[in-house]
Formats: sequence, C-alpha cells, structure tokens
Amino acid sequence: MQALHDEGVELIFGYPGGAALHIYDAIFRQDKIDHILVRHEQGATHAADGYSRATGKPGVVLVTSGPGATNAITGIATAFMDSIPMVVISGQVASHLIGTDAFQETDMIGVSRPVVKHSYTVFNAEEIPKIIKEAFYVATSGRPGPVVIDIPKDMTAPDNLFDYSYPEEAIIRSYNPPIQPEQDQIDRAVEAILIAKKPVIYAGGGAIASNAEKELFELNKIIDAPVTNTLMGLGIYPASHHRFLGMLGMHGTYQANMAMHNADLIIAIGARFDDRITNKPSKFAPNAKVVHLDVDHSSVSKIIEANVAVFGQVKNSLKLIKDTLEKKLDSYNSATIQPWHEQIKEWKSQHGLNYDLYKDQSDSHPILPQAVVQHVHEITNGEAYVTSDVGQHQMFAAQYYHFDKPRRWINSGGLGTMGFGLPAAMGVKLAFPKDEVVCITGEGSIQMCIQELSTCLQYNLPIKIININNEALGMVKQWQDMNYGGRHSESTYQNSLPDFIKLAESYGHEGIKIEKNSELKDGLKKAFAMKDKLVFVDIYVDPSEHVYPMQVANGSLENMWLSKDKQT
Amino acid sequence: MIKRKLILIMENKPGALVRVVGLFHQRGYNIETLHVDSVKDFSVYKDIEKKLETKFEDNQISRLTIETMVSDDLMRQILRQLNKLIDVIAVSNEETTYLKGVLLDENLL
Ligand SMILES: Cc1ncc(C[n+]2csc(CCOP(=O)(O)OP(=O)(O)O)c2C)c(N)n1
Ligand SMILES: [Mg+2]
Repeated sequence: MQALHDEGVELIFGYPGGAALHIYDAIFRQDKIDHILVRHEQGATHAADGYSRATGKPGVVLVTSGPGATNAITGIATAFMDSIPMVVISGQVASHLIGTDAFQETDMIGVSRPVVKHSYTVFNAEEIPKIIKEAFYVATSGRPGPVVIDIPKDMTAPDNLFDYSYPEEAIIRSYNPPIQPEQDQIDRAVEAILIAKKPVIYAGGGAIASNAEKELFELNKIIDAPVTNTLMGLGIYPASHHRFLGMLGMHGTYQANMAMHNADLIIAIGARFDDRITNKPSKFAPNAKVVHLDVDHSSVSKIIEANVAVFGQVKNSLKLIKDTLEKKLDSYNSATIQPWHEQIKEWKSQHGLNYDLYKDQSDSHPILPQAVVQHVHEITNGEAYVTSDVGQHQMFAAQYYHFDKPRRWINSGGLGTMGFGLPAAMGVKLAFPKDEVVCITGEGSIQMCIQELSTCLQYNLPIKIININNEALGMVKQWQDMNYGGRHSESTYQNSLPDFIKLAESYGHEGIKIEKNSELKDGLKKAFAMKDKLVFVDIYVDPSEHVYPMQVANGSLENMWLSKDKQT
Repeated sequence: MIKRKLILIMENKPGALVRVVGLFHQRGYNIETLHVDSVKDFSVYKDIEKKLETKFEDNQISRLTIETMVSDDLMRQILRQLNKLIDVIAVSNEETTYLKGVLLDENLL
C-alpha cells in the first residue's frame, strides 16, 4: 500500500478474498488511498479502465486469486485491446502451495499472458516496491497497456518485514519505447504533405493516449486537411470544426469513407488500420500514400504499407512536423486542396447523416434511437462524459453525440465488450464528480454488469443511464437481417425483459420509462434535472432501425449500404 | 516461404520463454526448431553492452535460436512483435537487429 501511495495512486477498484486479505487489512489501516468495492471483478477492471480513459492516469485494480483473478480477465483484455494503462494486482495462493492445485489457485500469469503488456510475479517481498514502480512505468509508457502483478499470500504477510524504500525511477534495460522521432522521418513526412492534393488526416486512440489534441489542431491550421477519427479517436479533433468529416469505417460517415478511399495522402496518427476501418485491405485507398505516426513499430505496415513511418510519441512527431512545415511555408499553398474540399462538401450533401431527426417530436412515428442521442447531446450541451456499451446504441452515440474534446467518449472499441458502459461510468464519475456522466447503453449490454447499480448507491454516483431499449440484441439482429435472410436466431428475448424501473428502484435509484416520441424530450430533461440521483431512463425505440452507413462486406471503403435497400 | 533463422537474447527471467513461444502461437506463426542456451561468453555482445550502457552478468541472459517458415513481410512483423516483449533485449534475423526498440541495419547477434 505504501508503494502504491508513493506511486501517486489515489483510487483502487477491487474485491476481497482469501489470498488478498493481508493487503485488505493494510487498506483498512491506512487512509490515503480510497478503495471502491465493486460487485463483480469485471466491474472493477472496467471502472479502473473508465477512470483511466477519462483522466489519462493509470487505473488500479485489486482482486483475489482464482475466481477473482479470472473474473478480471475480460476487463484486462478490454484495456489491452484499446491500449489503456492499468495495473492489476492479483492475490495468489502462498508460495509453497503454488503448483499443487490449492484452493482458489489459478495460473493468473498464464491465463492473462495474451492480454497484458507485461506481468510480474513477486518472489521476494523486498521486490514489491521495485516491481510496482516498473509495472506503472511499463503500463503508462510507449504504447500503454495493462500490467498484472501476481502476489502470493505469504509475500504480503504482516510478519514479512523489510527495509522499505521506493525507487525514484524504473530502469528496464530491455525496454525503451520511442519518444522523439528522427528528423529525416519528419522531413519525408513534410515532403509528402507539401505535394498532396487530396490529403486526409486519420487520427485514432493513440493520439488521445499521447494527449496530442493541441499539436494536431495546430498542425492542421497549416495543412487545412479534412480530418476523420476512428471510434477510439473521437474528440481528438473537435467534431464541430468545419474540417471534421465524422467517424470512418464500418459505420463511418459517407464523406469520411469516400475521402479516405479517394485520398492521395493519408496521415495516420496513432491509428492501426483495424479491419473495421479498412474493409478489404487490398482494396483500401488505392491511390493514397501513407504517412504513419505511431509509438509502436509493430502497428506500422502491419495491415497497410506505410510510405513514411514516423516512430515516436505522436504528440512530439506532430509538433516537429509543424515546425518543419512552417519553415517551408512558401512552397505550401493550402488553396491547391480547395477542389478537394468542394468534392467533400458534395459528398456530405449527398449522403451525410441527417442531424435533424430529433426535431420531429410528433407521435407519427416511434422513437428513433438517433434522436435520443441528439436530445442527450443538446441537454448536456455536448459536454458530458459519455460511456457506452456495444451494439447499435454505441454506433448511434458515436455518430450523433459530437465530441469536441478528447477523453469524453469512453467505449470498448477493440474488444467490443458488452457490460463495459456502467462500470466505466462509475470510474469516470469518481474522477470527475461534478461533471455530467452519461451511460448510453442497450437493454442487452446493461444486463451484463447491472449488479454495479449497487456500487453506485454505496458511493453515491449520480450517473444517467440512457437505455436505448429495442427489445433485442439489435446489432446481431441487424446482421441477421442483412446477411442471414432475416432469421433472428437467438437475438430476441420473448418478453422476458425485466421491469428496469422497478429494478433501478430496488437498487435505491430513480427510473423513468419513455415510450412515446412526444414524451422523449421532456422525459430526458426530467432525468437530467435530478442532479443528485442516478436515473435509469428506459427508452423504447423503433426495433426495426438499422445503423447506416454500413460497409459492404469485402468491399472497398466506398462500398456502403446507405439504407436497407440502397447501396453506393 | 523459406526457412529463416531468428536469434534473440533476453533477460533470463521466469516466464520470458513462454512469452516468446506464446507469441508465435497467438499470432499464428509456426516454430520449426527452437534452441535455448544460457549465455556464458559475453565477449560477443560487447557492442550491445556498450549501446545499452550495461554489463551482462552470469545467469542473466538467455539466447534463443528459432527457425521458422515465413514470408519477408511476416518476418518483419515477427521481429517487431518480439521486439515489443519487455524481456527481449535484442532480436535479429540475417540482416537487421532490433535492439531495445531501435532498428539497426546489421546482425549484432
Ligand atoms: C460480451 C459480449 N458478448 C457478445 C457480444 C456480441 N454482440 C455485439 S452487439 C450485441 C448486441 C447488443 O445488444 P444491446 O446491448 O441491446 O444493443 P443494441 O445493439 O440492441 O443497441 C452482441 C450480442 C459482445 N460484443 N460482447
Ligand atoms: Mg438492444
């Protein structure tokens, strides 16, 4: 505990059990670090993850051995896929029992290995300070990620005393993440920018991890290129800026996908050309040169070959590109990309998203999920922290809630973990108690970590839960509609949904049910007016609604479904 | 696809070997042969010691030789993935070496 305090940790999410009891006793006997008792270890990892995404600081989790550790795996994998810094301390059976199939023994290091950045086992109690120092350094530096520390019970026994001192810095001779890019890489990137006629900036979660919003904004003041963000990158460039194209990829906007496909230069910033972005890689952006800025060597030229690779903290790389570009300003004329902007404007007007859906408040049609998100955006002035789960509601939130700042949009992009939204919102609310925190979820996802409503009561976390209830595993159903002849195999619940209002009330919270379009706006306003309450807003939306645009399988980025019966 | 040889030196720490082997499995790369030694003669690694400003000591370092059947592109990706493992000090194929995250155009191993 002393080492965690010396590392600057203020908050731990956890759940006790036999192998962690010595540590829990130490928690009881100190008052510097707060511990949040969740209701399931998955909730602890997602809460720590949400805390980390919103603050940029590493999330810390404490669980016991065996089932405590395995319950944490989904949350560790979620953080791993999205490169979120996290330190997970798992209790382990006492050293002399390891390997004997002792009660609650699991090989946590082995089970977690494919989903951690690194892991440690404590063999000597004296090593604890050094290991904790290293674990935080590894978790937060380079391409961040989760680190597991497995601690056998005897290592934390109160009689296992040693001379304590906390190391000032971690030095790991076999680990050296790139920080500053090389100037010749920068020069080549600048050359590519100078001759581009159809540039696009494509920024992802790595740009947020590097806190590069200012550097990106400043650089694009010069280039004046259109900007698109991945699902993970939303907020790194202001959504209200006139050069913002919206999200790209599977459910990206028409103009973002068209711009990428037709670009002659793609400036990729902390993004990894994931398969939800590229569609079929061999058909991806046929005429584009790629300049790729990343901290991770293995992300560059993995899927799409980069013509110029810039390795380093992308924040530093962007700054250097700007400085270098400024010296060559006389050979850059942003007017040469004017026809490109015209083209993009045309695409936008042809098939851009319809942001006026929420204006019709009549009961001539059922509630549209898109309209729900837009109302929430309006009521919260676009300034809320929005966590989400996985499914159609997540895509509607990403498309229709416009994020002007990074770290406000908090969702599981890489692993796509249903159940993430509510515990993540707890982590955010604990970090920013005065700010509005909204969880936009679906009736399927919310049930995967619903037990955390109890945690919200214990710690008084007045989150607003917006349950976009389409009475189905909507995203699954959408795929079944489009690719499986409308056969809805196991994607509906046959009238078995709980009464969410009673459920919320039984956990000591408020519940509001909204079924009619004409009641939507007022109902939401009422929910947000209850400042000190967790409000569960259960909104029945049109169950037949699909998310569009949607990439046509195995096509190029320009092949999109625009509605149920219309393709590009 | 041809058979290629990779050489790694890494910290002799518990779990380090499993991470290397696990990475091959996880990413779908095949291992044809695998050989592990604990390094006794450090004189061959003087360059690396100098570059890392460190001194290797007995029982600290293991040397792995792995043969695998892969294409050129995949070879580069394997090198980069191995280089990312925290306990790996250096990894090289015939032409290049990743040393602590830095790519060098020579075979240091
Ligand atoms: C833990 C987990 N299991 C299964 C899936 C696959 N999956 C993706 S979306 C989805 C449906 C989600 O339903 P709901 O939360 O109601 O959202 P909707 O799509 O209806 O808005 C499912 C089952 C997943 N992403 N995560
Ligand atoms: Mg649903």
